Amino acid sequence: MIAVEDASVVFETRAGIFKSGQVHALDGVSIEIGVGETLALVGESGSGKTTLGRLTLRLVEPASGTVSFLGRDITHDREQSLGWFRQRAQIVFQDPFSSLNPYMRVWDLIEEPLQIDGVKRAGERRERANAALAAVDLIPTARFGSKYPSQMSGGQRQRVGIARALVRNPDYIVADEPVSMIDASSRIAILSLLAKLQQERGVSFAYITHDIASARYFSDRIAVLYQGTIVETGPVGTVIDHPLHPYTAALIAAIPEPDPANRHRRREVVPGEPSPSSTAPTHCPFYSRCPRRIPGTCDAARPALVEIEPKHEVACFLYSSASHTPAGTP
Amino acid sequence: MSTPLLRVEDLLLYYRAGNHPVHAVDGVSFTIEDRGQAVGIVGESGSGKTSMATALMRMLPKNVESFRGSIQLAGQELTTLSDDQFRREIRWKKIAMVFQGAMNVLNPVVRVGEQIAETLIFDGMEKKTALARADALLERVGLPAGIGSRYAHELSGGQRQRVVIATALVMNPELLILDEPTSALDVSVQAQIMNLLKDLKEDPGISMIFITHDIGLASDLCDSIAVAYAGQHVEFGSADRVLVEPHHPYSSLLLSSLPRLHDPAPPVPMPGEPPDLTHPPAGCRFHPRCPYAFAPCPVIVPPEYRVEDGGHARCFLNDREIAGDRYQIHLQATIDA
Repeated sequence: MIAVEDASVVFETRAGIFKSGQVHALDGVSIEIGVGETLALVGESGSGKTTLGRLTLRLVEPASGTVSFLGRDITHDREQSLGWFRQRAQIVFQDPFSSLNPYMRVWDLIEEPLQIDGVKRAGERRERANAALAAVDLIPTARFGSKYPSQMSGGQRQRVGIARALVRNPDYIVADEPVSMIDASSRIAILSLLAKLQQERGVSFAYITHDIASARYFSDRIAVLYQGTIVETGPVGTVIDHPLHPYTAALIAAIPEPDPANRHRRREVVPGEPSPSSTAPTHCPFYSRCPRRIPGTCDAARPALVEIEPKHEVACFLYSSASHTPAGTP
Repeated sequence: MSTPLLRVEDLLLYYRAGNHPVHAVDGVSFTIEDRGQAVGIVGESGSGKTSMATALMRMLPKNVESFRGSIQLAGQELTTLSDDQFRREIRWKKIAMVFQGAMNVLNPVVRVGEQIAETLIFDGMEKKTALARADALLERVGLPAGIGSRYAHELSGGQRQRVVIATALVMNPELLILDEPTSALDVSVQAQIMNLLKDLKEDPGISMIFITHDIGLASDLCDSIAVAYAGQHVEFGSADRVLVEPHHPYSSLLLSSLPRLHDPAPPVPMPGEPPDLTHPPAGCRFHPRCPYAFAPCPVIVPPEYRVEDGGHARCFLNDREIAGDRYQIHLQATIDA
């Protein structure tokens, strides 16, 4: 469905009136998402997971590398010629409180994309909007369709956000932290809804999240990002139960699950916090925080993603001596 | 039995909003027995967690319709104190609070050390001594030396949250209220802050009220847990019991709605939607969403049934006479799950 190959994204920043800088948001990243498959993009803030999601939607253009959709290279297509793609690939935003226009009724919000697509008959638009509302369990559709976003709970608003994406019958949806702003008790309802839609319609998903436990439930494969690179990827159960990269292991160890024994033990933590990088990393990006770093090796070169067991890849010198070679180098 | 450090009894806080009062806190009771213990208040947004905390700090908005109940700190009744007395003797000195999002409202043009020392200087301490005390506090919360002379924007998110915690500790409070102190932080930084809070519980033995929507996070710190729902605590008890053997269906549904790291079984979604606090459901507030609701639930408000660990649960299923065969049905369901 979607393939990204060795893509890098660089953002220009303004550091002052005369100074400008660069942030390497993604550096040599490759992913593939199959038909009807969900890939979880997991990482902390600044890891590049959102940029990668947006790159697959061609909302950002890569500095190098390629993006293709159903085998067609769309890396450098102009916006005017991406119309077909815009209908088939959709996004569900993180914040259901600010991503819906508060002055529009739910029906109008959901019908807006159809209007843009040139569906002229009002009756047809309403029919499709109601079908989308029913698909996200906002039933009776007439009651919810006539509401304004402010009259709904966070969970209901996020369902409207999903209906808005669904109404175009997309093949691919990027769900960008779709439940992080919703109460813990309502999260699973939203994720099961996405899982159900996937089963019924065969939609492919990129599920962007910092909640690795929810990824287990709503994904087939997982890619763990750190400072713009993929450090580990594989089947979701394998990666969570047997993490190889020290960063993945630290991320998992940091999550408190409800357990009365937790309070009696200190959590093993990695020190420090990630900071945005202004240059493409020349060594392992996790080096400065890694509890298992090998001086002289890990700070001398960048580890490449290597398959350690079937479909389970890790970029770490603990497992392989292969270094990353940027695209274009012989 | 000795006097508990904190005893909150039948606390009630209603706001005026339009024609109907908002029942933000509606009959809440819990205790913190000893110094250095933490109670977690767990609930979804709108369950009245933050309102309860602002009531304890007596930082109430203007539209309060009624505020009743008893709050005793080490035996001293606080609700009868005058506002002036409360400000001089209790707020920040005995009870301090870390507000949600406080790390984003540090003063951008004052060095963080001076922000902490400000309170002490205002309180009559000499500037040099106050700055030294601020530096000691910053070190206590795990920040490197010299950070006191930096500005907030120069610090990372985790460092700013440590500064906020140091600010709350400046007057040596006995009780620290933390409102979602890690919600804006990444998990690895969250774990660092939780370790710091664990340290502060032990030394200097600060008691804490930890407000969160994440019951897993509460279990990382708290000795007892109160589960808040629609302005009430539907359940309160030791963490050892509430997390393992909840006596209220909302608590057990909350626990089973969480995805578990090492369990591929799908979590069970919580049914229904949160209630509207201007029109809370009659009877048990949870009954419209409760799969175990029966005859008395929509009609009668369940009392706080005592639970063997000294806690309580507001659910008729704990009443052998009323529940009959249903008695402990939900407990069984939890164990099966």
